[in-house]
Amino acid sequence: MNGFEQVPWALIAPVLVIQFILAIVALVDLKRIHATNGPKWLWVIIILLMGIIGPIAYFIIGRRQS
Amino acid sequence: MTQFSVLLKKEFLESWRSFKFLWIPLVFILLGVTEPLTNYYMEDILAAVGNMPEGFQMLFPELTAADILLSTTGQYQLIGLLVLISAFIGSISRERHNGTATLLYVRPISATTVFASKWIIASLVSIISAVLGYVASMYYTAILFGSVAVSDFVKMLLTYCVWLLLVMAITIAMSAAFQTGAAAAIAIVLLPVGLLIDSAIGSFWPWTPWKLANHGLSFVTETVVMKDFGMALLFTAIAIISFIGIGILATKRNWRLTKV
Repeated sequence: MNGFEQVPWALIAPVLVIQFILAIVALVDLKRIHATNGPKWLWVIIILLMGIIGPIAYFIIGRRQS
Repeated sequence: MTQFSVLLKKEFLESWRSFKFLWIPLVFILLGVTEPLTNYYMEDILAAVGNMPEGFQMLFPELTAADILLSTTGQYQLIGLLVLISAFIGSISRERHNGTATLLYVRPISATTVFASKWIIASLVSIISAVLGYVASMYYTAILFGSVAVSDFVKMLLTYCVWLLLVMAITIAMSAAFQTGAAAAIAIVLLPVGLLIDSAIGSFWPWTPWKLANHGLSFVTETVVMKDFGMALLFTAIAIISFIGIGILATKRNWRLTKV
């Protein structure tokens, strides 16, 4: 694995940061919200493990407006 | 006018508290940034995961900045529109479903203000998202591929904003007219599926609203036909006005259907 230094981190880092912020925002919202569609612990797993799809799926499907 | 500003404030707060002002722009930025990156590193990505046979060679086209903006727009027109539609499709129908709307309907407020406040805030969120996303995409494209003229880029951006006004007018109007599920289905058929159908068979009509984003892109590729662009802009404006009309009529009808 000598390729680690060759990765253009200056270009890739913003993508990772944005993905990280999205996950954090989704988790904060999940903490504050009263109830979700489906069990909360499942959404925690989805947000953390499914990369960029997880938080988007949570905001579109998981939030129950009331 | 005070009524209108109060409702506008209510819609703004609702979008703010549900983080719509945060996560939708982030999604657009992410889409806009990954597009130039994956195109630039396509060769490396294929070499790393492609499982190519020994001695395999592939010719890659020389991509220009305009090509990248083109493919970014392709992402926005499919994934971006789906995200925007599903984020705002419930704005009226969900309020009717869970009873919040009744609180509004017993007060002397006009249907026009209710509809307009929702449409304006939804358009604001989507325009902020698209502008931030395109700027981020342009920044990466400028680093990796080269730049385009700033005035052309701004013209393209403004054209896309007009298209987004239509997208939101359709979304909120459908939300006022139908229940959430049906409204989402109709809006998705009208917008992303409509774009596909229009690009497949619509080459005879250069003026349909679905082609507006492509006309905007032709500013960047410098192939713009001003007459077609003007016609598309005119028909988009007509479509925006008629969908706002439909939406206001549907909101008025909701008033009558509510039982207190």
